[in-house]
Amino acid sequence: MQPKVKATNLSYKINEKKLFQNISFELMAGKAIHIQGDNGSGKTTLLKIICGLTNQVKGEIEKKLDKQICFLGHKNALKQYLTVEENLSLLNIINHPDLKQHLIEFGLDKSLDINLSSLSFGQQKKIALLRVFLNDSDLILLDEPCVGLDTQSQNYLCRFLNDELEHRKSILFSSHISLDINSEKLNLSDQV
Amino acid sequence: MNIIKFELLKLRNKSRGWLGPILVFILIMVAFPLTVEISNKDLDQSFFAVLWIAVLLVMMLATEDIFLEDFNDGSLEQFAISDISFPYIISVKIFIYWLLIGVPISIIGSLFCLGFTNSGNLAINIFPILLITSYIFINVFSFGNALSLTKGSVLGTLVTLPLLLPLLIVLGKAVISINLNLNYLGFVALLLGVLSIIIFLIPLIISYIIRAHLE
Repeated sequence: MQPKVKATNLSYKINEKKLFQNISFELMAGKAIHIQGDNGSGKTTLLKIICGLTNQVKGEIEKKLDKQICFLGHKNALKQYLTVEENLSLLNIINHPDLKQHLIEFGLDKSLDINLSSLSFGQQKKIALLRVFLNDSDLILLDEPCVGLDTQSQNYLCRFLNDELEHRKSILFSSHISLDINSEKLNLSDQV
Repeated sequence: MNIIKFELLKLRNKSRGWLGPILVFILIMVAFPLTVEISNKDLDQSFFAVLWIAVLLVMMLATEDIFLEDFNDGSLEQFAISDISFPYIISVKIFIYWLLIGVPISIIGSLFCLGFTNSGNLAINIFPILLITSYIFINVFSFGNALSLTKGSVLGTLVTLPLLLPLLIVLGKAVISINLNLNYLGFVALLLGVLSIIIFLIPLIISYIIRAHLE
């Protein structure tokens, strides 16, 4: 079976400062990799390299994907001056049959007509996560997905990601906290 | 994301983005005759100079945050990794801005032309030139804004402003031709030629510039 993502000897440096070097890994369908590392070790950069937003300095990356990558970074791609419903409409998930269930789980089912700017950071993060939950992608990239989430929502996210793994999706995520997701560890702090 | 729906919904809720430039344009055109004490004939002569400068400034104003907001909130990141071609997304964004700002300004500009010159023929002839010119301006200023995306929009637009000076000369010549009842279609063809190159080239260049900013 071919890996969904295969990285060979990836290196990245900013000016002369090496972030990481010679990172190699294979991500198979139905598997997850938890990227760990200190602040500034290159976790976000690695995720950006994989989704094609940044180019590596050295090494190769091969992707065998049938569908678009689902990426949730530090920025939520939401409009503060629009309501929750309008934002969901922009994300093209407003008519998804599973939307209501996720909104109830996140406690946002009564907040559809509220302006996004009136919601807390954590609630906005939950709206952004709905894009991940209702995606039709075979590779999910998450950069610190638990920032701002309460314990209940973190558990819900972990349950969801474990379900996605059973559906043969591949997941790469960075997180400072340990999450209950069946994953291999990749520590960037060891790679400099 | 459906880019057309995305832009229309965004601009509908942010009327400042498109209504502001239109109102500034109307204000300039209304203020112009109030600030000069010259005969009607002279007013007629200087009207076109004011018209082109007003269109230029308003288009500069209109594109001020064409990419900035999407860059700051991460929407551009999502567009860049989507299956849809990034230059296509950029060109659609520019087109929607032109549709909501450039087209109304062209219509209003023609109406002012009718009011100032009392010539229906001139107003009709100036309309397609305004349409093409506003589209060229909006493309070039979008390029400028992309250049200085993280450094404030003024810098980029100032850098790109000299690129439009030859166009202003062509516009002046076109108006003289219309006034003298000469064939002005050559100038329209020239503007269309410039637009047809810009319409493909600028979104492509902008997509590379924005990708560099996203890195």
